[in-house]
Amino acid sequence: MVKLIGQFVSCCRAAGLRVSTSEVLDSLQQMKLINPVDEREFHALLAANFAKSLRELYHFNRLYHLFFHEMRINAEDMEQAADQTEQIKKATDILKKKPHDSSVYDAVVDFLGGNPMPLLAEMRRIQTESDDASAPTRFNLGPLASRLNVLIQINTAATAAQSLIKDDDFQMDSKSRRDLSAHFEERLDAARSMLTYEPRSGNAEARKVKPHEQRLADMGEKAFSSFTRREIEDMREAIDKLVRKLKDIVSRRFAVRDRGNLDVKKTLRASAKYNGVPIDIQFRRKTLRKSRIVTLCDISGSVWAAARFMLNLLYSLQDCFDKVQSFVFIDRLTNVTGVFEEQEISEAIQTVLKAADIHYNAQTDYGETFRNFKSNYMDLLTKKTTLIIVGDGRTNYMHPEDAILGEMRERCRRVIWLTPEPENLWGTGDSEIYSYAHHCHEVRVCRNVNQLVTFIEELVL
Amino acid sequence: MAYKNVSDVEKRLTEAGYIPSREIATVIFLAQATQKPVLIEGPAGVGKTELAKAVARSLNREMIRLQCYEGLDEAKALYEWEYAKQLLYTQMVKERINDIIGSTATLTEAVDQIATQEDAFFSDRFIQPRPLLQAISSSKPVVLLLDEVDKSDPEFEAFLLELLSDFQVSIPELGTRKAVRIPFVVLTSNNYRDMSDALKRRCVHLYIDYPARDTEIAIIRLKIPDIEENLCATLVDAIRNIRSLDLKKSPSISETLDWAQSLLALQISELTQEVVSETLNVICKYQADLEKVRKNMDRVIA
Repeated sequence: MVKLIGQFVSCCRAAGLRVSTSEVLDSLQQMKLINPVDEREFHALLAANFAKSLRELYHFNRLYHLFFHEMRINAEDMEQAADQTEQIKKATDILKKKPHDSSVYDAVVDFLGGNPMPLLAEMRRIQTESDDASAPTRFNLGPLASRLNVLIQINTAATAAQSLIKDDDFQMDSKSRRDLSAHFEERLDAARSMLTYEPRSGNAEARKVKPHEQRLADMGEKAFSSFTRREIEDMREAIDKLVRKLKDIVSRRFAVRDRGNLDVKKTLRASAKYNGVPIDIQFRRKTLRKSRIVTLCDISGSVWAAARFMLNLLYSLQDCFDKVQSFVFIDRLTNVTGVFEEQEISEAIQTVLKAADIHYNAQTDYGETFRNFKSNYMDLLTKKTTLIIVGDGRTNYMHPEDAILGEMRERCRRVIWLTPEPENLWGTGDSEIYSYAHHCHEVRVCRNVNQLVTFIEELVL
Repeated sequence: MAYKNVSDVEKRLTEAGYIPSREIATVIFLAQATQKPVLIEGPAGVGKTELAKAVARSLNREMIRLQCYEGLDEAKALYEWEYAKQLLYTQMVKERINDIIGSTATLTEAVDQIATQEDAFFSDRFIQPRPLLQAISSSKPVVLLLDEVDKSDPEFEAFLLELLSDFQVSIPELGTRKAVRIPFVVLTSNNYRDMSDALKRRCVHLYIDYPARDTEIAIIRLKIPDIEENLCATLVDAIRNIRSLDLKKSPSISETLDWAQSLLALQISELTQEVVSETLNVICKYQADLEKVRKNMDRVIA
């Protein structure tokens, strides 16, 4: 029994199932407790110890079937099996000595002889190996070719085995000759079916949701500018989820704020009610600072794509902030706070796009925007304010007015600049991002949802 | 009383109102015999929690349940100091403190004197045991159910390791507590996330899927004895057909039972397409699923 289980374990390992030594020991100990002749119990025991997730269970069941059903000779003709085993051994020894040039051939012959391990290992290598990464274009030909090689080797072994059995040098009566041939056929079939077997990746539960989830996750890495209209809609779902998660985290912070240090003063005051006995314990509350946020969004061209997602996120999280004020600009500043407060986010975005006093054909003018802000809205910036500017910093060779940004910085807590341009393009052409950068506390690249999410998380928490 | 063998498990679980497959019975028996925790996985509503309850009933043990969720910490799962009680006691024994430190000459001596009394305040008296400590310190063996352990944080999972492998917990002020009687531990998981290998290694794994047709019929007849045999069979067939559709949430056993119950309440004796369509709300929990089943009604019931 120990040897059998040991063989099975090494097969499992060869096929990529992780089985630890302690699990093997456990299963051997448990074997004493059950009736191993009852196959359901035997199978349940091995499955409970070796396959510890649903994914592994499919894999395990296949190996189990292969090892205990396809590879073993029926228990009924045990005696006959015994001399057959001898013949099989003799035959495979001869087969091995035949000239050949492939290690796969050895594996196939071993498989014929009842040791599936080398072939399983070979199959696993084929299934898991990826194409040569250095190749300029990738095909799925690599694994296919390896499989073809295995198939050829199986067929070579099959022909060799057949001719060996027919060969008169091999002394055998006709019955055992027939048996042996049937036996080899059976195993070769098993080997062929292994070849066409595709490992199932699944998890029935996850399988249903995965394509969608995966797509959302993939979209996280996609640049804003390459979103289609459909994807923008889908993205809103992802953002909803994210917002829920962030709110959870924030509410948990509210939950723990009561568990601060003991507030002696308050506790004593409360104890007055109970004749001086401090029953009602008071803790020093951790005050959470909520920040005010002012956003300036360039809504020309590609920048708008990033800005709209950021606005979407900011307004979904509005209750995590004290107040969110937003402005959009191309050649001058427009206050859109009201629009976002009154309407639902996607509607608000539409309204902003249609708003009459935005000149979409105009050139972006950062200088004018800053001058505008300075004369009208400077008092919005206080010690609690975080100013977020979304823009590529391309001024169309007009005056950047970076000094005004410096003044703005003096008044507020933090200035953060988000740019959709990758860093290697900064400072090229009309980009003034470097002259703005030294007035900002931080300049970040924000090209896709994942980057945006990290930014918002840091902002909220 | 412990299970004697696999058939004994089968028999006693059935008596406790849970119909196990041979596989389930084997795993439960092994877990009990080797004193290992069982990690049960499977879709929602196939009776993972129910199995733990049935084990408790059949072993005649008390069940202690800990529902896991994100943010669950040691204070909620293991123990908590009762500060209010400690303070109250301090107030009440204030006068005695003078007796203790009355004879001392210096402040250092006084502090030393009080330090010897420290144990009085960090003792079992002021500990509020939570489920895990309860399970470990109970003088009678219990069944400990850690429900939906996949919902808890990875930190909590790591904390469980000590408990699951050695059946002991460490309380800094009191030292290590070993289990008085080793509890039968059941962990359930919905595949919300993968558990760590370290945790899996310490457990015996059991995957419960939707039951076979005959088992499901037997379960319905056990839970709802009034139902007619014919109706029960068609009902199970219909449910199995619905499961074969690609739904957001496939109906599980608990939904089957709800459905059978509601058909009984409506005094319906025959399952027709109309009846199915009218009572579909019991089994489908998403509007999209509802519409899908209605559209494929021919496949559900002939």
